[in-house]
Amino acid sequence: MEQSNLLFLLYADICLIIGFYMYIRKMRKLIGFHLGMNMSMVMGGMAALLFGIILITHMPFHFTYITLLSASIGGAVGACFGMLIDYQTFVTGLTNGLIVGLMAPMIGTVMEMQMLFIWFLHAFFIGSLGILFISIKRA
Amino acid sequence: MLLLILLFMWCVGEILVNYRVVKKKRLLFDDRFTKTICMAIASISSLAMALYLELLLSDNQLVTYLLPVLLGVFIGWRFGSLIKAPASLNGLYNGAMGGVMGMMLGAVLKNPALCNIPIDANSLIASNLFIITIFIAFSHSVVCFFIRYSMRG
Repeated sequence: MEQSNLLFLLYADICLIIGFYMYIRKMRKLIGFHLGMNMSMVMGGMAALLFGIILITHMPFHFTYITLLSASIGGAVGACFGMLIDYQTFVTGLTNGLIVGLMAPMIGTVMEMQMLFIWFLHAFFIGSLGILFISIKRA
Repeated sequence: MLLLILLFMWCVGEILVNYRVVKKKRLLFDDRFTKTICMAIASISSLAMALYLELLLSDNQLVTYLLPVLLGVFIGWRFGSLIKAPASLNGLYNGAMGGVMGMMLGAVLKNPALCNIPIDANSLIASNLFIITIFIAFSHSVVCFFIRYSMRG
């Protein structure tokens, strides 16, 4: 039961990130560079954190490959979100996603009560998405 | 061990080249560009430096705990103080952050049982270590290339 739950959560995260990317792409004329920089940092870091922790909980025997994968995914998501705005947001998102992605599987292996932590992390992710929505509406 | 020393020298060379380029063109920057450059370069190069130092040095307690953090702070301070005072603060913070993170990653790679990672054979530990260090050297050079490329245009 828990394993399928994890895969379902991962799928929901991918859908949320792609949907938010499409929304930002439609609204990108309204977003200034300051909000764009914060947005690329938040999205790259959260994507790397979620992928690293969920994958290391699902497959605990592949530490090396999961570290490489989560760092690459975090860098790529940060770079994609930054690419919509500017070159400097691109560099910021890439670096932040790489650093957080290198750290994420280590947090995943250390903690106990993993499902509770993962649910808390998803609540945090959805909360930060809501805050980004509000600040885009106001901009 | 030889591979680690080669990667360490590559990392130092990359940092020196970047430092020369930034120093030569420091009059062209505005505030935002300065902040971006300080953040990117201080965090990733102090992470790589601290990781290599932690792996290369022997188990002398005081040196392996203090030296990577001091080196990260030094890199951030040098890059930040080239331009303006607020950028120096930003670089110092990010350098200390990267130094602590690199130290933690190096300690986990040397002894995976610290983190409950189920790898116990010595050959597996060695291959794990080489793959991750090569990946970090690769990402460090990618970020340095992007920064140099942004200054050309």
